[in-house]
Amino acid sequence: MSFLHPEDKHPVPKVLRGWVLPLLLLALWWLAAHFHWSSSPLLVPVDKVWDTAVEQVRSGELWSALEASLRRDLIGFAIGVSGGLAFGIAFGLSRLFERMIGPTFHTLKQISLFAWIPLLSVWFGLGDAAKVAFLSLAAFFPVVLNTFEGIRSVPPELIEAARVLKFNRRQWLFKLILPAASPSILAGIHLALIYAWLATLGAEYLLVSGKGIGNTMIDGRELFLMDLVIFGVIVVGFVGFALNWLAARLERRLLAWRGRSVAQF
Amino acid sequence: MSQAGTLDIQHLSKSYPVKNGDLSVLEDVTLTITPGEFVSIVGSSGCGKSTLLRLIVGLEEDYQGQVLLDGERIVGTSLRRGIVFQEHRLFPWLTVENNIQLGLLNADLTPGQKRLAVREHIALVGLQGFEKSYPHQLSGGMAQRVAIARALVSKPEILLLDEPFGALDALTRAYLQQELHRIWQAEGITMILVTHDVEEAIYLGDKVVVMEPRPGRIRRIVPVDLAHPRERAATAFAEVKQTVLKEFSGDSASLAEPPLRVEVADPEQIRQWRFAI
Amino acid sequence: MGAQPVALELSPSAPATSSAGAVRAAWLRNWSPRWLALPFPLFLLLLWYVAAQFEWVAPQVLPSPQAVLLTFIDLVASGEMFDNLKISLLRVLIGFGVGVVGGLLLGVAMGLSPVFKDYVYPLFKAFSQVPVLGWLPLLMLLVGIDEALKIILISKAALVPIALNTFKGIENVPARYVEVARVLKFSRWQLLWRVIFPAALPPIWNGVRYGFTHAWLALVVVELLASSEGLGYMIVFGRQLFQLDVVMAAVVVVGAVGYVLDRVLARIEVILLGWRRSGF
Repeated sequence: MSFLHPEDKHPVPKVLRGWVLPLLLLALWWLAAHFHWSSSPLLVPVDKVWDTAVEQVRSGELWSALEASLRRDLIGFAIGVSGGLAFGIAFGLSRLFERMIGPTFHTLKQISLFAWIPLLSVWFGLGDAAKVAFLSLAAFFPVVLNTFEGIRSVPPELIEAARVLKFNRRQWLFKLILPAASPSILAGIHLALIYAWLATLGAEYLLVSGKGIGNTMIDGRELFLMDLVIFGVIVVGFVGFALNWLAARLERRLLAWRGRSVAQF
Repeated sequence: MSQAGTLDIQHLSKSYPVKNGDLSVLEDVTLTITPGEFVSIVGSSGCGKSTLLRLIVGLEEDYQGQVLLDGERIVGTSLRRGIVFQEHRLFPWLTVENNIQLGLLNADLTPGQKRLAVREHIALVGLQGFEKSYPHQLSGGMAQRVAIARALVSKPEILLLDEPFGALDALTRAYLQQELHRIWQAEGITMILVTHDVEEAIYLGDKVVVMEPRPGRIRRIVPVDLAHPRERAATAFAEVKQTVLKEFSGDSASLAEPPLRVEVADPEQIRQWRFAI
Repeated sequence: MGAQPVALELSPSAPATSSAGAVRAAWLRNWSPRWLALPFPLFLLLLWYVAAQFEWVAPQVLPSPQAVLLTFIDLVASGEMFDNLKISLLRVLIGFGVGVVGGLLLGVAMGLSPVFKDYVYPLFKAFSQVPVLGWLPLLMLLVGIDEALKIILISKAALVPIALNTFKGIENVPARYVEVARVLKFSRWQLLWRVIFPAALPPIWNGVRYGFTHAWLALVVVELLASSEGLGYMIVFGRQLFQLDVVMAAVVVVGAVGYVLDRVLARIEVILLGWRRSGF
């Protein structure tokens, strides 16, 4: 008799188990709508959501909203990441810079991200500029931190090897420091992607002008259109998933040299 | 002197399912080990010596043949069979004495007796003063000594050692070999040591079991009739070493390491410990 | 958090000419006394002061540092700051607490029972793809804009990373330790309490800290959007009235409190995981 041996004698086969709960919930929802278990207008039937989805796609509403959101997201992300890389590398390479600017940076970092919005809205207005500024901020912090950490953790053994091989300044940076720090840097960029998407939504809620998927959901909420809101949630989920998947693929490709020893997360 | 047991391995065979068919890791291994004996097992990588040990201690199942301890068929793990791994595998969140005490977790002793046993075994491995240290504060050799104490504290009949000193430097290794010998003489239990260091095998063992790989089998058993303490530089020692090494020479295939690591175990299998709910 | 024993030097293309020169160069590179932290923020403060003084921007857009300080003192003295702080703290503690409990339970269940994981993980993963804010409009429709909304959102924010980290932490307990437990004949409970949980504690606590960051984030957002009291409300209210001094005072407090709470969690980490000086 083996110790804690998991016996796969469970009736439902492994591949199907993941579907049970979602299908159950879906069935419950369908029943509730069909038999009017609640008189609330919020209980929309499943097919209504489908119809709304189709409508949104056909009328092009979905694409314009998504395009607006993603455009802002990517611009802010790009600005934040570039700034973050610059700062992170500066922190990592120059102790002086780190000592002078570091404490201020760490203090500002403590301020919860969204608390910046009202200030930004005064300084940049209520339109896209403020949103992009906010998104850049959201992407900026994780990149700086991870880049800095990555550079700091370059193993001293490798540094000594580079000294013996008489690397010049340029080789130092590009052939040792950046590659060695790349896992951390990429992790920071991945985080930045997540935070930027989160910030995109938040910015659309708080700085209500303009278009975007967040705006779609807010409108849906104000008009009590549950189907529109649910549709929005699904779209947001998909985009989040897609962004994550892309980032993971990129990381795996760029960090293939690390081998499978590192635990997947 | 604790009670030592007779280990009877009869026609032991084990294979793993791999991509195309079955990989035979052990084939028809038969071996008898008398109580209190010290047996060294040598062989190049891939000869199945570690698998043999894991089968004896009960970490692997699913084999053909049988393993008997004192006439009884072994089933699963037991406190009567202890093991020291190549990595010390001490729990990093526990002190030295708490780690050793784990060996007595399920023993039928009063707390006072347990504390005494732990103290005795700390003294046995020569680590007095380090009771409250954490594993990360110990050197490799010291940590391995703690692992030995943990394995011995429950007074098993058999102690298995799977390349215990492989990860240590040569000086520490020589020192620990002496220590292990001393402990063996003091405790009188049966010990089975797996190693790829032929000198270590001869220095410690009453007999040296030479195994060959692909599939793993016993090639030859070389008795070591030398008196203790053994001099590595003595002629008699060198002769035994020659005899053992001859089993390897001329057949360079058995010395060579397998080209790539064979992904034997199904990764899911490694997590077999999770609950069956 | 390893400090480098070797200072990260950019090797010059030409070696130092004399040993004295080399020594001085090395000293200069490593020169970083504590007070270096001051010039930059002081410079910013000066800039701010001057900008406000000469009204380079309208005072509604950039209040002077003195104004912010005075307002801050005012708010503290009148008790308004503490009242709002109390409410925010209560919210985040309840929400975070719920998230921790839920996250731990879920993570442990998924980690220990492969069958449970098979059923629940896919749905959980799907739900976690939607960032916390994505649920906001939906929840607003379902539960209105009262406390329930805030607590639910804050708990969700904490629950996801905690559950995920707990699950992965348990799943990744090295098989090496489990084998030791098998050889030493640990019972199921002994395995759980003496091996699995201690070994999984580092990633679990990581999840808890990460979860708190998210919970605090969610608190601020939801208070900015849908609240009539709390720190976020102060910020919004001040913003509406173009009282940026109020806004800044509140922002400072948000930052400070968030920092303090995270430090508390870090301190607990040291206590719980003090045994972890070098890696596993």
